[in-house]
Amino acid sequence: MNANAKKRQVDFQIIAEWVHEGDRVLDLGCGRGVLLEYLKQKKSVYGVGVDIDTDKILSCVKRGVPAYQGDILALLATFPDDAFDRVIFSRTVEELEAPDLTLAEGLRVGKRVTVGFVNHGFWLNRLNYLFKGQRTLNEVYRLPWYQSLPANAFSVREFEQFCEERLITIENRVYLGANWEAEAKFLPNVFAGYAIYDLSRASSVDSAV
Amino acid sequence: MNDSEQTTPNQYEGEVGFVEFEDFVYSKPFHFASGGMIPELTLRYETYGHLNDEKSNAILICHALSGDHHCAGVHSMDERKQGWWNFMVGPGKPIDTSRYFVICSNVLGGCQGSTGPGSVNPETGQPYNLDFPKLTVQDMVKAQSLLVDHFGVDRLHAVIGGSMGGMQTLQWNIDFPERVGRYIALACGARHTAQAIAFNDTGRQAIITDPNWMQGRYEPDAGPAHGLAVARMMAHITYLSDVGMEAKFGRKRRSGDQSKEHFDVEFEVESYLRYQGQSFVTRFDANTYLYLTKALDRFDLFGEDKSLDSSLKGVTAPGLVIGFTSDWLYPPQGNREVVEALLRLGKDATYAELAMDFGHDSFLVRAPKLYDLIRTFLSR
Repeated sequence: MNANAKKRQVDFQIIAEWVHEGDRVLDLGCGRGVLLEYLKQKKSVYGVGVDIDTDKILSCVKRGVPAYQGDILALLATFPDDAFDRVIFSRTVEELEAPDLTLAEGLRVGKRVTVGFVNHGFWLNRLNYLFKGQRTLNEVYRLPWYQSLPANAFSVREFEQFCEERLITIENRVYLGANWEAEAKFLPNVFAGYAIYDLSRASSVDSAV
Repeated sequence: MNDSEQTTPNQYEGEVGFVEFEDFVYSKPFHFASGGMIPELTLRYETYGHLNDEKSNAILICHALSGDHHCAGVHSMDERKQGWWNFMVGPGKPIDTSRYFVICSNVLGGCQGSTGPGSVNPETGQPYNLDFPKLTVQDMVKAQSLLVDHFGVDRLHAVIGGSMGGMQTLQWNIDFPERVGRYIALACGARHTAQAIAFNDTGRQAIITDPNWMQGRYEPDAGPAHGLAVARMMAHITYLSDVGMEAKFGRKRRSGDQSKEHFDVEFEVESYLRYQGQSFVTRFDANTYLYLTKALDRFDLFGEDKSLDSSLKGVTAPGLVIGFTSDWLYPPQGNREVVEALLRLGKDATYAELAMDFGHDSFLVRAPKLYDLIRTFLSR
C-alpha cells in the first residue's frame, strides 16, 4: 500500500470504534468504498456510499458496497430524520460547496455524525505561509492551488467554533499528530495533523434548559 | 486521486454465433391483471449458453418496446444485423455466455412470435385484435415467469433490462422477489412522466387516425403503415439526444440533392427517420404498438397509495440501476428516485449515472463504463 493510501485509511480504526454492530451507515464522499468494506467486515454494518464519480461507484460495485452516484445534498434531502445510525464525512467536508448546510442535513439524517479532516492549522502550514508566503505542497496537499482539492481547507479551531455556534454537540474527538498515527492532545490546532469528531445534534430539550 | 484501480484486463471475447428461436407454449388459460383471459399463450424465446446442473446460472434479459427475443447472434448467414444486445451478450462479454445461461423472450403482447393482439384466438379462429385483454407490465412478467418455470429454474442469477425491460426488471422484484438473485435496470423509472405519456399518445393517435387501422381489424399486410411509421419516427427522436443528433446529422443534406418537390427528403436526418419509420413497419404490428405503449403509460410503481417505498418494500435482491445523462425520455431523475426509495428501505441498491450522448438509447451503445459496471455487478 502506498503512503497516500495508508494515510487515507488512518481514521478507519477510530471511525469503526464509534460504529455499533449492525448500524446503518451512510458514507458521504465514499470514494472507492474501502471504508465501508472495512466497516462491513468489522461491524457488519448496512452501509451506503455516495460519490459523484462513476469510476468510484464501479469500485464500490466491485467491493459489494451499495453506492449512489450523485449530489450529496440532493440525496440527503430524500431521507427522513434519523434514517441512519451514523453519517460519515471522512475528508469530505473540505470538498463540499455548502459545508454548513450539508453538515446540518447529515445531522438530521444521521443520529450521529463522524467528521474527519486534515487540520489546516497544522504548524507546518503556518510556517509555509509565514516564511514563504505560499501554501504547503506535500503528500497530503499534493496539487498546486490551481488544480487542487480540498477546495476549502479549515482548522481544528474553526471547526470547533462552528460546532459551538450551531449548537452541535461534540461527543468524542481524537487528534492525531504530524504522522497521523499517535494522538496529539497538546495544542491540537497547532500540532494535530488530522482530527476526527463524533457529533450529535443538540437536543432541543437540552438547549431549551 | 492516484488510487485508481485497474479494471479487469480485456479478456477474450467471442460471439454466440448462430442461434435459433424456440416457442414455449403454455396451453392453460392465462389471466391478466385486468381480469382478461386468453386460453393459451406462446412466448418466443432464445437462449445462449448452458444451464448448469444446479440450475443456478440463468439470466433473464427483458427487451425494450421495439426489441425482441433476438438479443445476440445471427439466425443465418444472410442476416446482416446481429441481435440487439450482441455486444453485451456472448462468451467473455459482460453477460458471459460461457458462465451464464441467458434467456430472452419476446414479450407477451408482442408481435415477433409471442402471443399478442395479432395472434389468432384458438377459441374463435380469428385474430384477437382489440379483443386482446388490457395489458400491463405485470402480465409481461407473469408470462416470463412461466417460461422460467419451464426451464425448472427457481431462482434467476439475474434479471436485466433497459427501458421497458427495466420496468419489467423492477416488476420482477416486486412480484417474484424470491426468484431474483440480483438485478440491473437501465434507463427506466418508476412511472412515465407526463411528457413520455404525451409522446406515446401522439404516436397512438397517428396509428388510430390512419384509415387503414379500421378499429384494429386490419389484415396483417394492409395495416396502418403510415400511422405506424410516423409513430416510430417521432418515438425514435425521443430515443436520441439533441447533442447526439447534431453530431450524427447536423444540417447535412442528402448528397446531390436536387429535390424536385418542395417537401422531398432534403436533410440527412429526414432520410434517417423516414428509413426508421419504413423499416419499423415491416417488422412491427400497429396493435402491439398500441398495447405496449399503453402498458408503459399505465405502469406506476407509486401505486394507489402514491408511495414508491410501499411498492418496493418486498424487494430482496441487490440491484444496480443505471441512468444516462442525456436520456430525456426516462431522465436520470426517474432512475435515481427508484434507488432513493430502495435506500430509504435499507435495501442493497446502487445507482450509477453514465455521461453518454446517445440519449435514451445509450444503454444499447457499447461503452467501457457500461461494460465494466454490468460485468462487475453480475460476477460479484
